[in-house]
Amino acid sequence: MTTQPEVLIVGAGPAGLAAAVELASHCVTSLLVEQRDQVGGAIYRRHVGTGSVTLVMPEHHRRRRDGLMQGLTDAGERVTRWMQSVLLGVDRDGRFLIDNRRLGRVQSVRPKAVILAVGSVEQVSPREGWELPGVVTVGGLQVQFKETGRTPTGPILLAGSGPLLLALAAQLAAAGNPPQAVLEHAQPLASMWWQGHAVVQALRSWPQLQEAALYARELWRARVPYLMGWQVASVQAKGAGLLVTGQHHSGLRRQFQVQHLGLHDGLRPNTTGLPAAGQTDAACIVFAGDCREVLGAGAAVDDGRKAAQQVMRYLGHALADDLRLDQAIATARRTQSALAELFQAPSNMPSANTVVCRCEGLQRADFDRLQAAGSARELRLVGRFGMGACQGRYCAGAVSALAREHGVVFDPGALHGDTPRWPLRPVALTALAAYADDDVVSS
Amino acid sequence: MNMPAPTSHTLYWNQLPVPFHPGETIAAVLSRGGIRQWGDAVGGLQARYFCGIGNCQACLVCVDGASPVEACLTPAQDGMRLTPALAASDVVWSAR
Repeated sequence: MTTQPEVLIVGAGPAGLAAAVELASHCVTSLLVEQRDQVGGAIYRRHVGTGSVTLVMPEHHRRRRDGLMQGLTDAGERVTRWMQSVLLGVDRDGRFLIDNRRLGRVQSVRPKAVILAVGSVEQVSPREGWELPGVVTVGGLQVQFKETGRTPTGPILLAGSGPLLLALAAQLAAAGNPPQAVLEHAQPLASMWWQGHAVVQALRSWPQLQEAALYARELWRARVPYLMGWQVASVQAKGAGLLVTGQHHSGLRRQFQVQHLGLHDGLRPNTTGLPAAGQTDAACIVFAGDCREVLGAGAAVDDGRKAAQQVMRYLGHALADDLRLDQAIATARRTQSALAELFQAPSNMPSANTVVCRCEGLQRADFDRLQAAGSARELRLVGRFGMGACQGRYCAGAVSALAREHGVVFDPGALHGDTPRWPLRPVALTALAAYADDDVVSS
Repeated sequence: MNMPAPTSHTLYWNQLPVPFHPGETIAAVLSRGGIRQWGDAVGGLQARYFCGIGNCQACLVCVDGASPVEACLTPAQDGMRLTPALAASDVVWSAR
């Protein structure tokens, strides 16, 4: 084999791409592993349908995306790409096991330096009926819309909390199928009155303001009701669609008959099953972008570059600290925390017949029957919470909150356990059987 | 519904032909075709699209009878035969 890439990058979203481009610009080679057949991640998901589609999206996003794509082209062979390849886990010898689905076999990489850039996980709190087909995450609706260029057919309702609801509502409206309403659990406008400092912090970010204005104008034009202080109380299957019951914090209720319900309660770093960040003589593992800290696509680009520089220093390159990157990341952090304050929504406990664990269909009532469970470990091993295929990504928050009610306190991450469960993703036995002990080792 | 011409690319959900544009994921193709219940899942639930980025594992389907893959990540290919990831017998043990 020819010279091996020096750095492994997992994830080709904004952070991973920025890292690869930054490394290449210093003549450092990398292996970029991406689960889809396209680079760009969820945020830069490419349109593959017919005709042209104009996505309502601020200009700075477009510029950054185009810059990264150009950078990747310029990097040429300095970036080796494995597409349709997913990280299955890391073994005890530090081998990164990757299911190369394009080749139909598992391959291993034993790198000296790794940049993990696997983005975020959408948080969705359990509600009665959220496990039904037709109930999807707002991000899930958005990536399909970007990919196909078509809005889902039939009435749509968006609910939960945060700026992403506004973004998708505006994009759907501009494409001709505005949502029936947006149910925002928080009360961002009211918060502005009694949290003036948060407004001031948010106002300091001109791109964010532009973005908000862009979306607001689109919603206004399409007359989409933006209902604050409202949440989804329950969802029922009705005919081929969904009957959604919305509830205002005053107790007022209203029903929506829709085909699609998009839910979103925020984002958190996607770290489940990954090794810890750190640096030893043997290896250096760095997290970059939303999987380190959820700061959005713009900051992810800066964070990817920063991670690349950190890795290069570890590999012995003399590089000065780039203070501009730190400043840009700090600015994004300030804006995000101000937004988080404005969109602070009260937490809700699931009702008895609400599914908590989506993988195994376990309900709140199943949880309550586990009175004796005194730890995250028991809840997992006896109750099977967090034991399913998603490895607790979508239930750990709710399980931790429920346990706290019973006086059992643990961090949501603890539900996964100390030992990473392998494999992180489904892998074919034929792909495992095709594994050959031919590590791609970087020098 | 705005569907591609029938002469274009086609895959099959069980026996049902579903047209697609090259580059689309299986999940996008099925969703656009109005198919959103993708077979039985553990706990009396249904396999379905949810997160769109390979995290939730709710959208697993089998391609040409092989091991399950995430429909939201896997590109559609001409003539693919898609079936539910789990046979009904696989999920009985956990039915309530």
